[in-house]
Amino acid sequence: MIVLETSKLTKKFGGLTAVNEVSMTLYQGDVMGLIGPNGAGKTTFINAIAGLNPPTSGRVKMMGQDTTGLTPEKMCRLGLSRTFQIPSPFPKMTAIESVITATIFGNKTGKVKNPVEHSRKMLDFVEFPMEETVVAEQLNTVQLKRLDLARALASNPKLLFMDELASGLSEGELNDIMRIIAKISKKGISILMIEHIMQLIMAVCNRLLCIQFGTKIAEGTTEEVANDPKVTKAYLG
Amino acid sequence: MSSTITSRQMNPFDKILDKLCLTPAGFCGLALLFVLPFIPPFNQEYMLRWLIYCGLIAAMSVGFDLTAGYISIVNFGYAAVSGFGGYSSALLVINMGLSPWIAMIAGGMTAGFIGLIIGMISLRLRGIFAACLSWFFGLAIMGLTIKLVWLTRGQLGLRTPRLFETDSNVPFYFLIITLLFFIYLACKWIVRSKMGLAFQAIGQNMDAARTSGINPVYYRVMNFTISCAIAGVLGGFYAHFYGILTPDMMHTSKTVEILAVAYIGGRGSLWGGAVIAFPFIFLMEIVRSTLSNLPGLNLVIYALVLILVMIYYPGGFSYFYDTNIRKPKNKALRYFFNGRA
Repeated sequence: MIVLETSKLTKKFGGLTAVNEVSMTLYQGDVMGLIGPNGAGKTTFINAIAGLNPPTSGRVKMMGQDTTGLTPEKMCRLGLSRTFQIPSPFPKMTAIESVITATIFGNKTGKVKNPVEHSRKMLDFVEFPMEETVVAEQLNTVQLKRLDLARALASNPKLLFMDELASGLSEGELNDIMRIIAKISKKGISILMIEHIMQLIMAVCNRLLCIQFGTKIAEGTTEEVANDPKVTKAYLG
Repeated sequence: MSSTITSRQMNPFDKILDKLCLTPAGFCGLALLFVLPFIPPFNQEYMLRWLIYCGLIAAMSVGFDLTAGYISIVNFGYAAVSGFGGYSSALLVINMGLSPWIAMIAGGMTAGFIGLIIGMISLRLRGIFAACLSWFFGLAIMGLTIKLVWLTRGQLGLRTPRLFETDSNVPFYFLIITLLFFIYLACKWIVRSKMGLAFQAIGQNMDAARTSGINPVYYRVMNFTISCAIAGVLGGFYAHFYGILTPDMMHTSKTVEILAVAYIGGRGSLWGGAVIAFPFIFLMEIVRSTLSNLPGLNLVIYALVLILVMIYYPGGFSYFYDTNIRKPKNKALRYFFNGRA
């Protein structure tokens, strides 16, 4: 089953074309890696899908429904969640409150019977290392990324975007994140993740999409794309 | 917020206090406000007038804090919106013969409508830009009030009937304290509800709030409407207490007065401004009356205190209270400052 499909998605900022006619398909159960050099337009691409920066032209289809240009809150209700490259918490809220917020507003009314219980489960699921009553502005980057992930999962998404979840992590933390990503995937959530760390990509992704200068240069299984000469050239010049 | 997460066994008194959003200390403070007009020297009429003004600013700062402290937009047109409510109320009484009490509520509704409009047109703007827009909106309302002489008598001032047909200030004092408490309670209930969570989320991080499924349009407009409706009702009180309305009450310096109290009290606490307003505004009135040959000195003092607070204690009084006073070792004292919840 196709979860997400874009056709000729384009995003222009004035005269600059940040994403140029990218078409891709994401299937149920995929863990797809979105790779490309810095400034290739990866984040712009997922922002265009998720609604933070609506696309200039092209179509987005999610679960068979045309969702081009819908607002982020509508996309969230339809089952799309995301984490941010720079972890984006509610600074004055406690960890549990942030997740409760996403639980209450991200799900259809009445779907989650006990938001507090649900939020605790989410924090446990991402192995949040701190007390649930800690205020978000006191957390470090690693902890914030976990919290951001819990917040994103709280709305029970069918599709999850992760923007450089693993950047800046140590070896041990990387293993933890891999295990958590595998757990998310096992729940039946399809994943599209922007990532630079090849070790992580090779371990968890089954398919890859590579973008350079806003244009798609490769899409396919991890093996195919990683061995594609165009991809190697894009990275090594 | 913690009260919504953990619910412990409480005795009936604590339960009522929790519903009223008061700590035992807050309850005592409120009781003190109710007996204040019988304690010398506060039982003199001119002091009572000052105290009523304190109560008015306190109530205004609570409504102001709902926008500034929760969705992080400073509504610089707040006094103007309040004045709009006051003028609407006064004109309804004068031209249509409505009772001042009903007109006061109608004034709140018209001001709420203004809030709705400000909320709608400032939707795409963030932070300082939305603040500027609300400011210009306020200036426009004030300009109109000055120029529409046939309706508002402009600078000459509009005479309005008072709420109580008496020379005593005591009933007005009790009314404003009651209003203050109910406004605080209403805001606190909103903040504790699901809507309050949405306010905080969009105020703290718009992008994360939107990706969490919160519709910022609805909640922002809602916030402006409620906050401005409060200003409108208080404007109505102003009109029917002083008995005369001039466009001066819409001036930006009035907003700054409210802002100073709300910020010194502590942004996002609601109660901070209400508590600080009484000593602070009262002192300012004393300064103003003793140094009457230096007009405008109180504004300089506002600015100074505000700057000092912003630099050294940006959390304001409520933050100071939460970190230094709220956690004493003694159990009884801790109950007194925190309540059971």
